[in-house]
Amino acid sequence: MRAKNDQAPSIRKRLLALLLPSAVVILVAGTLGDYFTAIAPFREAYDQALIDTAIAVAGRVTVRNDGRPALSLPPDAAAILRADSIDSIYIKVSAADGALVYGDADLPELPESPANPSRANVAYRGEPIRLVSYRTVAGPSIVAVSVGETLHKRDRARAAVLTTAIAVDAAELGLVLAVIWLGVRLALAPLRNVAAQIHRRSARDLAPLPLGRVPVEIRGVVDALNRLFATVTRAGSEQRRFLESAAHQLRTPLTGIQAQLELMADDETDPSRKDQLGRVLDGARRLTHTTQQLLALARSDEAATLDWKLTPVDLASVVDPVVNERIAASDAAKIDLGAEVSPADARGVSWLLAEALGNLVDNAMTYTPAGGSITIRCGDDGAPFLQVTDTGPGIPPGDRARVLDRFYRGSNAQGDGSGLGLAIVHEVAQLHGATLSIDAGPDGRGTTVSLRFPVRHGGSAQAIAAR
Amino acid sequence: MRVLVVEDDPLVGDAVRRALAAAGFAADLVASAEAAASALHAESFDLAIVDIGLPRVSGLQFLQALRQRGTGLPVLILTARDGLEDRVHALDLGADDYLTKPFEIPELVARCRALIRRAHAVTSTRLALGSLNLDLAHREVTVDGALLDLTHREWTILECLVFNAGRIVSKERLKESVVNWSEDLTPNAIEVYVSRLRTKLGGAADIRAVRGMGYRIDAREK
Repeated sequence: MRAKNDQAPSIRKRLLALLLPSAVVILVAGTLGDYFTAIAPFREAYDQALIDTAIAVAGRVTVRNDGRPALSLPPDAAAILRADSIDSIYIKVSAADGALVYGDADLPELPESPANPSRANVAYRGEPIRLVSYRTVAGPSIVAVSVGETLHKRDRARAAVLTTAIAVDAAELGLVLAVIWLGVRLALAPLRNVAAQIHRRSARDLAPLPLGRVPVEIRGVVDALNRLFATVTRAGSEQRRFLESAAHQLRTPLTGIQAQLELMADDETDPSRKDQLGRVLDGARRLTHTTQQLLALARSDEAATLDWKLTPVDLASVVDPVVNERIAASDAAKIDLGAEVSPADARGVSWLLAEALGNLVDNAMTYTPAGGSITIRCGDDGAPFLQVTDTGPGIPPGDRARVLDRFYRGSNAQGDGSGLGLAIVHEVAQLHGATLSIDAGPDGRGTTVSLRFPVRHGGSAQAIAAR
Repeated sequence: MRVLVVEDDPLVGDAVRRALAAAGFAADLVASAEAAASALHAESFDLAIVDIGLPRVSGLQFLQALRQRGTGLPVLILTARDGLEDRVHALDLGADDYLTKPFEIPELVARCRALIRRAHAVTSTRLALGSLNLDLAHREVTVDGALLDLTHREWTILECLVFNAGRIVSKERLKESVVNWSEDLTPNAIEVYVSRLRTKLGGAADIRAVRGMGYRIDAREK
């Protein structure tokens, strides 16, 4: 069941497959956007600090008497400008002709550009640095002030931003995924409720499903189901009316024919005519018997389709009439028909149970030779049961399952049974939720057919206490 | 013994009438409840056999009307329908017995005899079964006029069996019927009484032991 469901298409899986990957892509893109947005102001601020330093240094450029630029920067001030606990700061001031005015001679200088100051990342002393070059006028010439800084602070800031962004966005992603999963689950809950409602129902319950809380998306399906239920119910009650009418139309003339033949055979004095009438009467009886069985089978089918009320029945009360009706026949067949009866409370339809038991006894009588015995047992050994044991030829184990089929007649079959008897018993057992089993009789001879009924709450506890 | 047969199916009605006639009853056949009502009005009967499925007025409606008038006439209902509801309904309305089609003629005749016997046991003091005759007032049994010598317990058991002729009577029920006479009675004792009864009855009636169920008495076939 479960494995089958895994194969079947699932709305939930489809929704999750559509929603989850897109949510992941959107959130990852969001994280990247956050990162680049957050990193830009940092870079700007650090660049600005470098530019400020360059402008401050440029403010100290003077012009000597010979017209050459010079820098009047006291060593204390220079130390302040270069002070940084994390990064190394490099400063260089050069004249327009490239002559060094001040600072680190090997520090590169950015070429002139429309932007003043200009900035770029360059390599210096084996590591990447951020470099700012600022050009200013000193007397007749131009000086370039370059300030460089290693990237450690920037790297740290970027790492901090990245870590925060990833942490926050991962949490966000988790939340969004959880919300999607929960949302899909909650949105599909009404569907599951309807499915569970249908699953819980008895297979025989044909009442329409309530439409009140059914979501509009599957209302069509539930409507169709309800229409189907109504059709089945209607068909069932039509079948019931048909069967009632058929029962009357078939039984009444059969009764008349059979009774008239009985009387004619009784009155007939000519032996050959009497014999002839006897055979016709036999045929009429077989026809009657088969008709009875077909009607019983149809009625128990119908009872199984429509929700028949099972009422409390003491199985012992079913045995009495069944035995009483067959005493004369068992005497004639020289079969000892008896019973071992204890109270057994079950739930059922008592005339169907009598029909089933009658068929079991009739079957046993067909196959039990003269001098044999048939015993009906009923009782409660934890579960109520009805049982018929005979001393006939028995049913080979291979045939036991098939004898329950309609019209099947076993390899040991003899006589003129219609093959419907056990099928009726099988139907009645199903209707009552009883298990039907066919075994060899005690000592491995003959046949025992048992009907075990579901344990009744309360009733069975009593039976267990009684043991 | 007059029996009114109310059956609209001519084949069944005729068979029932003939069978009853052959069994020694005077049987009249009518095909509707209306005809039955006028027949009962004109003459007296000992038993009515009524089919449920009559045209216009059903057998059950007829039975109900009959009982509402306070008529105690024994009624045997015939029906082609199975199911317990009908049966219970018919018995509730005052039917005395119930037979489902198709039935065997001997079964019908036995039921009719039992119904008449019981009705007579209420109004008279005599019960009959084949050649057996029970005088309930004097607690005497005769077979073809010859008096049988029975003990009290044998008599009580025979009375109980004959009253329920054609049906199985459990040992417990037989024991209860004689329990006034004895403080401790084993089920075996019942067997002993029944076996003595069989000997004393000779061939007048069959008392059959049904294993595990009890005993049943039937009139000996002629």
